[in-house]
Amino acid sequence: MWLPLIGIIIGIVLGMMLPIKIPTAYSSYMSIAVLAALDSVFGGIRSSLDKQFEADVFISGFFGNAVLAAGLAYIGDRLDVPIYLCAIFVFGYRLFNNFALIRRHFLGQLRKKSFLKDNSGK
Amino acid sequence: MKNLLGGKIAIMLVSIILGLMLAAQFKNVQNVGGNVSLQRAQELTSQIQKLNQDIANQQNLIAELENRIAEYENAAKDEGKLTETLNKDLERARILAGLVELEGAGVIVTVNVIPFEDWGETGIVRNVYHEDLLMLVNELNAAGAEALAINGERIVSTTEIRSAGDYIVINTNRYTAPFEIKALGNPETLEASLKLLGGVADILGEELEITIRREDKIRIPKYNRPLHYEYAVPVQ
Repeated sequence: MWLPLIGIIIGIVLGMMLPIKIPTAYSSYMSIAVLAALDSVFGGIRSSLDKQFEADVFISGFFGNAVLAAGLAYIGDRLDVPIYLCAIFVFGYRLFNNFALIRRHFLGQLRKKSFLKDNSGK
Repeated sequence: MKNLLGGKIAIMLVSIILGLMLAAQFKNVQNVGGNVSLQRAQELTSQIQKLNQDIANQQNLIAELENRIAEYENAAKDEGKLTETLNKDLERARILAGLVELEGAGVIVTVNVIPFEDWGETGIVRNVYHEDLLMLVNELNAAGAEALAINGERIVSTTEIRSAGDYIVINTNRYTAPFEIKALGNPETLEASLKLLGGVADILGEELEITIRREDKIRIPKYNRPLHYEYAVPVQ
């Protein structure tokens, strides 16, 4: 569970130190790709908590979603159709969904350890 | 068990990539100051187009009015010797006022910023300030320059050179580096006056890129704004 958080922190520190620059023109596509990547990581955390984690699915989803989202946003810009709204909606929705499932999982664990009163079964 | 380890490494790697992306995007947004939407860009583009159109219209108007002045002058020219001398005086006055395009020997001074990787936010040692241009113009005038122009703006008696935010305003038009100062006059004298040890080019050259080039034929454009006197009246 802590691995992704540590990874993100390492990545942010690295990114701040390394001189990575994205052309301003592609900034909006990058933002969509970031959203897709965030969703994938949350999805990965959730599935690992559910013991359904599969590395190939996770990695292909991470890169595939990011590229697809950015690509669709790009095509949408060319066609003057705001497809990026759709990407934001879908990934945002799944992000909150995944987070809710993760939350439930941990609350369930806490209940089992009786840190919290179990008031669901009775 | 092995699968679990592989999964952990995968999550770790992917999270690091995500972190990199987040950092890159964060830096980008900070640099640009937010996401400039396509609509805003289009709006600004159309505004620029409209203003360019305006400028073209105004320039047409100027050309038209100048034609009319030339016509009047031609008409006056035909009326004998007296008007001929008057015309000569007029021509001299027009040169003095900067209303005639001039050509001749002189120097071209270019002033540019020195790019410097990883120096602050802008990556330059320092910007060109209006004082720098004023110093150069002053020095060139002292060395006997007969006509001056900066970036195609003729320097006349009413020309301002002042900073306005990131720009330098010359004849009410805004310019940024690089600047090109054209000066008509004795090329040797002009160059020597700038290149004096401890002189203007010497001092400014420490922080700016300054090149001085002698030329045999330099064209200096005319001042293309109306000279308008509202308060000043000649004493009889």
